[in-house]
Amino acid sequence: MDPHPGRSRGVSQTLVAPAKEMPADADLAFERLYRSSRDDVYAYVAGLLRDRSTAEDVTAAAFERAYRKRSRFDPDRGSPRAWVFGIARNAALDELRKRGRHFELAAEPPDSRAVVAQEAEERERSLALRDALDRLARRDREMISMKFFAGLSNAEIAAALRISETNAGTRLHRAVAKLREVLDEAP
Amino acid sequence: MKLRRDAAALDPEIERELEALEAALAGKPVDPDLSDLAELASDLRGIRPSPRPQFAAELDSAAAAGFGGRRSGRLSGFAGRLGAIPPRRALLGAGAAAFAAIVIATTVVSIGGSRTERQAPSGTNTVAAAPSETVAPGTSNAPRRAPFDAQSGSSASASTGQATNSGAAAFEDRIGPRPAPSGPFASKHSRRAVERSAQLVLGTDPEGVRPASDRVFATVGRYQGIVLSSSIRDGGSGEAGADFSLLIPSDRLSPALTDLSAIGEVRSRQESAEDITAPTVPVGERLRDARAEVEGLLKQLANADTDSERAAVEAQLRFQRQRVATLRASRNGLRRRAHFSRVSVQLLTGDASSFPASGDDRWTIDDALGDAGRILAVAAGVILVGLAVLAPIALIALLVWLGRRAWVRTGRERALES
Repeated sequence: MDPHPGRSRGVSQTLVAPAKEMPADADLAFERLYRSSRDDVYAYVAGLLRDRSTAEDVTAAAFERAYRKRSRFDPDRGSPRAWVFGIARNAALDELRKRGRHFELAAEPPDSRAVVAQEAEERERSLALRDALDRLARRDREMISMKFFAGLSNAEIAAALRISETNAGTRLHRAVAKLREVLDEAP
Repeated sequence: MKLRRDAAALDPEIERELEALEAALAGKPVDPDLSDLAELASDLRGIRPSPRPQFAAELDSAAAAGFGGRRSGRLSGFAGRLGAIPPRRALLGAGAAAFAAIVIATTVVSIGGSRTERQAPSGTNTVAAAPSETVAPGTSNAPRRAPFDAQSGSSASASTGQATNSGAAAFEDRIGPRPAPSGPFASKHSRRAVERSAQLVLGTDPEGVRPASDRVFATVGRYQGIVLSSSIRDGGSGEAGADFSLLIPSDRLSPALTDLSAIGEVRSRQESAEDITAPTVPVGERLRDARAEVEGLLKQLANADTDSERAAVEAQLRFQRQRVATLRASRNGLRRRAHFSRVSVQLLTGDASSFPASGDDRWTIDDALGDAGRILAVAAGVILVGLAVLAPIALIALLVWLGRRAWVRTGRERALES
């Protein structure tokens, strides 16, 4: 009786798959991260900068920078999503620094397709909200963008800003309160 | 990215409002008193900026291409690849590069040190012949000498041994007396006093010890040398042998050594020379002074009028004559050392490998330990010097990096202050 019934017999060749054509794990993980966060990153950057063209440049630069540093990502230091938002934030702030502290980017015009589809009342509220956002301080606008445009959790915001989750919650609450104040003050 | 832990908890009302926002974003119902907050959250989601389809398509293409097309220039590409290296791997690479640099520096320094040691003047002339080399009686077995070996005048035969010859004395030994210096700074003493010595180890058969000893005596006699001591042992291979302590006139040392080397198989031959001109010159001058003193005292003695005066001069005369005798003995001793070379001849029998013939040249465990210690010392020195150079540079670079990082962070935070 064969003690090893499962053993192959008469095998003289071993086929090896072309491993070099397979993308590395880091590349696959980055691709997933890119797919899941592309629109969110753009929304956050555009919400902070209030300029579509600049937001596109900054978003592209952020993903390029993240791609180059993808092998340096450390899971112990936060989620991949928080990591890429940290990079996007730095890129956006660098853009703001480059353009000067007193230089205010042109406000993004409302999306005409969305506006047409909205009812008149909703359109009015939307315009008021955009106007209020423009009048908010950048720091508060950043919190609004991260939470409502990018859809980050408080933990992800905390990781991206390198602050505690409690602090992130406090800042977010303050930003929302400021936004409501501005909306209330609006004529 | 370690998060700072806040000990303080959120205010309950703030926490309630944040939970309401989360619920509204998730499409869940909220408390009626917070409905306006939920409405705000919904409105904000409604004005969420979306990327243009064209931009999204371009970015997708760039992502599929690995964002390679956006960078231009080899330098920026290299900088990008360099920046993409993980810190641990970069540290590993830097460590490997530093280790390689230390190894190379140590090797270079060690090789340089060995060359320096070989070239350092030692004042000795060592010749070790191959143990297997045998010599027929009557043929010259002098090891290969430099082409300018004019003093010995003997024909040099091939030797597979190694020779180390350096230093002024050895140079003199090869090319003869150093030419007399000339010019305004030339010394009055054109001949330098050099004390020479040689050690010769010869191998022969047990039966050949006696004939070889006779040839040693004959050679000493032929060159008008002196046998200070001799010891001849009979017996089997390894036991039989002879030891000779000889004085050979220095001006005939080279031909005498050539003849002595021809007596048997040369196991080793060492020659050394020491310049003793320095102690010889002051002894001669003091001797002349002492003799002049004696002559002066003799004149004083001849002119002495009283017994007490004569007795005093005679006492000084005895002292000076004793001094002259001592100095003369000292001068003669130095002259003898210069005129006669001390030669030690050892006749050995048995297997050549059992002799300490070329013991100084064999690489032993002690030598290995010594070499290892020297290499370690050199490596430690290289590391120390490297640290002394690199540490301040690294510290400055670290401070610059930290400062720039803090400046960039501060600048980014300031960019939000508007």
